[in-house]
Amino acid sequence: MSSIRVNPNILPDLLSALQQTRQQEATSTLELATGSRINQPSDDPAGAAALVSNAEQSAQADSFLRSITSINGQLQTADSTLSSVVTALQRAISLGVQGANGTLSNTDRADVAAELTGIQQQLISLANTSYQGEFIFSGTATIQPFLASSSGPSGVTYQGNNGINNVQVGTNYSLAVNQPGSQVFTAPGADVFQSISDLIATLQNNAGSSSINSAVSEVSNAFDHITSQRVFYGNAINQLNAQQNYLNSEKVDLSAAADSIGGADMAATAANLNQSELAVNAELSAMSRIGQTSLFDYLK
Amino acid sequence: MSNLSATLSLATGALAAEQGALTETANNVANVNTPGYSRKEPQFAENPPVVLGPLTFGTGVSLENTAGIRDPILQLRIQQETGTQGELSAFVDAMQQVQAQFSNQGNDIGTQLSALFSSVNQLSSNPASIPLRQAVLTAASNLASTISTSANNLTAQQSNLDLSVSQAVSQVSTLTQQIAKVNGQIAALQNLHQDASTFIDQRDVLINQLSGLIDVSQIQTESGISLTTSNGTALVAGTQAFALTTQPDASGHQHIFAQGNDITAQLNSGQLGGLLQVRDQKIPSLLSSLDTLAAGISTAFNAANASGFDLNGDVGDNIFVPPPASGQGAAASMAVAITDPALIAASSDGSAGSNGNLANFAAIQSQNVIGGETPSSFYANLIFTVGNDVSNGSAEQQGSQAVLQQLQDQRGSISGVSLDEEASNMVQFQRAYDAAAQVVTTVNQMLETVINMGTT
Repeated sequence: MSSIRVNPNILPDLLSALQQTRQQEATSTLELATGSRINQPSDDPAGAAALVSNAEQSAQADSFLRSITSINGQLQTADSTLSSVVTALQRAISLGVQGANGTLSNTDRADVAAELTGIQQQLISLANTSYQGEFIFSGTATIQPFLASSSGPSGVTYQGNNGINNVQVGTNYSLAVNQPGSQVFTAPGADVFQSISDLIATLQNNAGSSSINSAVSEVSNAFDHITSQRVFYGNAINQLNAQQNYLNSEKVDLSAAADSIGGADMAATAANLNQSELAVNAELSAMSRIGQTSLFDYLK
Repeated sequence: MSNLSATLSLATGALAAEQGALTETANNVANVNTPGYSRKEPQFAENPPVVLGPLTFGTGVSLENTAGIRDPILQLRIQQETGTQGELSAFVDAMQQVQAQFSNQGNDIGTQLSALFSSVNQLSSNPASIPLRQAVLTAASNLASTISTSANNLTAQQSNLDLSVSQAVSQVSTLTQQIAKVNGQIAALQNLHQDASTFIDQRDVLINQLSGLIDVSQIQTESGISLTTSNGTALVAGTQAFALTTQPDASGHQHIFAQGNDITAQLNSGQLGGLLQVRDQKIPSLLSSLDTLAAGISTAFNAANASGFDLNGDVGDNIFVPPPASGQGAAASMAVAITDPALIAASSDGSAGSNGNLANFAAIQSQNVIGGETPSSFYANLIFTVGNDVSNGSAEQQGSQAVLQQLQDQRGSISGVSLDEEASNMVQFQRAYDAAAQVVTTVNQMLETVINMGTT
């Protein structure tokens, strides 16, 4: 026999080719079903590792977004509280100016003082605003920040501390979310309660226009101070909004990146599946014909 | 000069030879599907001639000992590749199960790690909140149980591999006994100068099976074939088989002994090679990575908690059960140490509303606390290692499969039975038989003529 002999039994070869095609078929089907090219680390080890950090960043962005929603509520509450404080102080100033008017009778002054006492109560209650059960002007001490008591000169005692909480809202980006009440309401030279209390005293004592006017300018200082404190909250809210937009676009980028790392190219995968199915059919029909005939069939 | 009876016996010899050749054909056809069968080609040889004076007369044909058609070198290549194939498929099968521990996206270690840091971040927006504190504890406990479940599953898989090792070793011993026996049969036949083809085929099949289990080297000796492992441990010497035994080591893993020597670390081919590589190298290395991860996270969180104050104003205690000093077993034993959410030390100044210390927790996410890497990049590397092992193993397995297939095709083209060929041989032998029979008939008629010559 000098002619080239071929392997007479090619069924094992065909079987292994068939198994390979079936494997491709199964892989394409899984990719189509999950929409992902990486269904286990071995599908693309480097891609699978990249997806771990992508998922981490995405979870972090989600977490920052939830924190932003939560502290945004707190900042909004503080901001609108201070807005009410500003209104109350405006009213106090106009009452003080009215009280300094020399034509006013002592009884009228007593009435003005009484209204100012009401405003003082309102201011204490505003300073004791809470958000989700926590007082927002108490520093980091969550006890009631301001207590009306006769012990101090202003009649109001600060029970909180000077602590400030920072909340992380981005990678390496933290934002202070509170101003302690001692800084907002009872700052030296701009003490809201002291100024109102002084104004009430001058009115009650009929201390004369110049004393009343100087008490009014004290309230006016406090008013300016509160207005400047409000800027902090306004800025923080603006920063949060900007950061929220950034995080939302970061999430879009991350999800696009995840898709380019591990997403299946649906059109290509569907085409592959189609091809595998064709190949399986062709292989099956080839196998069904192989070995059906040999020379024995032709010998009579 | 020749005579008629000599011609008759010559033709009878031809009949016998053609009939013998047909028997070989029949045997080839019968064994068309027998694994390892090497086809036989009838060898006709002309008988020595008779010289009478100036004339030389042929004395016909006889059938020589028919040998199986085989290529021993090719057979060796097939055995080597079968060993590689056995090793790779055992390796890939086992590693795919290992990989399953790290594939479950949505409930894997990476996701739980992110969830823990997210829960810390949520708590920082309202540090006194008990539900948010509880969420941190729950996330910590989920992470701990995911890590410890992974570690326990890997250990369980190691035990399963152990079982496979014992089974493979007992298969090796059975095969070596069979090979030794067949060696004896081959030697006996060859001493009588008889055809041992059937037994050689049988031995090739057995050695092939053995190669799929363990690394095998062949040495041709006087007493047949001797088999050793690649580092020289005797498996079969002629008619003697050397059994392998298994004995558990201190940690309960089966080690393989040959005549009292531990050869476990020396096996690197066949199913045993693959099983041992996963059991003794891959899984221990993954377990140690998980230990590093578990110990690193536990220690970092405990340290962060100790640097702040809990809701009661006390210095924070351990959040996780402290890992063993050696770090070994840290993953399997990872657990949360506290159940009271108030004990999370969020505060940096002792006040309940302070979140200052939570920054120390959050910082762990970006600090190189696990073997010089951040927790998540350490885990990503682990994923890469596992995925890469499986993907490389699979690629090598496919390559080796293709090589093996080609070798087997080659073997088939040399030794495989072709029905076309057998049919054509059959026709050829039948024609020759018919012709020889015709010669017998003719000689018979001539003899009759000669006999009748005398009587008339």
